[in-house]
Amino acid sequence: MSLAAQDLTLLLGDGDQQVRALDGISISVAPGELLAVVGPSGSGKTSLLAVCGGLRTPTSGSVRIGDAEITALSPARLTDVRRERVGFVFQQSNLIPALTAVDQLLLMVHMRGRRPGSADRERAMGLLHEVGMEHRHDRRPSQLSGGERQRVGIARALMSTPALLLVDEPTSMLDHSRGRQIVELLLRECHEHKVATLMVTHDAGMLDVADRVVHMSDGRLAA
Amino acid sequence: MFIAIRDLGFARGRFFLMGLVVALIAFLTTLLSGLSAGLIKNNISGLMQLPVTHIAFEYDDEPTYRGTMVDRAMWEGWARKSRGRAQEPLGHTVFNARGADDDPLELTLWGVRPGSFTEPKVTAGAQLGEPANGVIVSKILADKGVKIGDTITLDRVLTEFQVIGITEEANIGHIPIVYAMLPRWQEATYGPPGGMPPGEAFPDVVYDFASVIALQIDDSVDEATIKAIDDELGTSTLEKVDRAYRASTGYLEEVRSVGMIQYSLILIAAVVIGAFFSIWTIQRTQEIGLVKALGATNGYLLRDSLGQALLILVTGTLIGLGAGLWIGQFIMKTGRPFMYVPGTVATAIIALLVAGLIGGALAVRRITAVDPMIALGRDR
Repeated sequence: MSLAAQDLTLLLGDGDQQVRALDGISISVAPGELLAVVGPSGSGKTSLLAVCGGLRTPTSGSVRIGDAEITALSPARLTDVRRERVGFVFQQSNLIPALTAVDQLLLMVHMRGRRPGSADRERAMGLLHEVGMEHRHDRRPSQLSGGERQRVGIARALMSTPALLLVDEPTSMLDHSRGRQIVELLLRECHEHKVATLMVTHDAGMLDVADRVVHMSDGRLAA
Repeated sequence: MFIAIRDLGFARGRFFLMGLVVALIAFLTTLLSGLSAGLIKNNISGLMQLPVTHIAFEYDDEPTYRGTMVDRAMWEGWARKSRGRAQEPLGHTVFNARGADDDPLELTLWGVRPGSFTEPKVTAGAQLGEPANGVIVSKILADKGVKIGDTITLDRVLTEFQVIGITEEANIGHIPIVYAMLPRWQEATYGPPGGMPPGEAFPDVVYDFASVIALQIDDSVDEATIKAIDDELGTSTLEKVDRAYRASTGYLEEVRSVGMIQYSLILIAAVVIGAFFSIWTIQRTQEIGLVKALGATNGYLLRDSLGQALLILVTGTLIGLGAGLWIGQFIMKTGRPFMYVPGTVATAIIALLVAGLIGGALAVRRITAVDPMIALGRDR
């Protein structure tokens, strides 16, 4: 399994304000499988994503990515895990304003402590080609449409050959047909790169595209 | 500096303005260093040229050249104690005088012994010796029209001197120095106005006084030894740089006021850089959170941002420094008290860079506090 989460509980806030964001959730995603988690806002989808991606440490339970147990790691080690093993696709346009499309991808190489070379550039251009953005590789986010930004974001997430792809509301800023194209692209990339993909969405219209769907409410998985 | 370099191009307007502000501050800092060194030289060039390590004054907590008088026992005492190290009595009196054509002159008369290390080398004319009332004048007076062969008459005491030589720029308390033989200085300073009646000689006691003792003290002599000699002889011995400089009128005030402006500028640089990078960092919070979520360490982001601050700072400073040095050349040609001393300029510029970097570092520190969770757009 590329993602195996066991019995996750996450408590947020203190005292009267305390919220049980995750309440005993267990999920697993196999390499090359796209699992869609669907649920209304406040159901805990984002918390699940944060815990699986090492952005939050769960109150109890365990998370494994590939062969690595990440639950008890320090924040610095979690940063390493995100860099080395996880690809994130955020909602809307989470690209860096100053960077061109191809530089968004090359940054992933630079963050690993390496000066991007021509092989990295070739790989980045290859990924941009896969998502249909090769011809726009020298554009900055402000020069791209919402769908185009999302495509660049997907290519960026794949740049570091992750074991796990975490996708946060990929269609929230797109109309239905563009949103559907993006999710289909995600599925294709997920299968082609054999990467375990966990996508959270509140958009029930996309679920037929996913390999498997689970529903979430109040921090629990619904049948 | 993967992101930082691209930011510079992306937000070039903002970074240009910031660089311009840094350049202007560096420009002012450079000019002030020139003014500072120029004022110092204009005040005490005569002292700076004097090849001494220390100057002994009559005992005083805060000695001044105008208010000191040493006697023969003191300089002979220093000669005895100094065991071969050089010492010379030196007379210092400010006079109003008249030059050729009755031109008014303000001058500082220094009494020195001919051939001693206190006598300056002339650039034109002759050294002291013949005639007995011959004097060497600072170039500053020569620039004002005083020529070799002119007669200078001291007001009130009516002593007449004949200009026989000209030496380099030599001022003290911003007043040009005229070097006379020590006995002539003693007669002018302690004798009766108009000189002695015909046929009478000056009383011997006139020749037992001077203003200070110029000293060449070996490095190996420690403070305590000097203090002990001071206590015994009733002198106050000050190191030439810069305690003995401070005894010159106006020196300390000038150094302090220019210094204060420079410190303010350096402080302003730190605050301006700090404010700019604070706002810049706050503006980039979302982006910083995103890059952290993608796996960037705090160290990676801090290096990136500090490198950016350093680049702006160094570029702006170098431009300001270059402009300041260039403009300074023209100011120097106007004859105003202005001079570039590499050490002084370098110190100010390095202080500016350090202050700016501290300001920048404090500002970008907030990067470490950004939570990568904000990349998920909600706080859960």
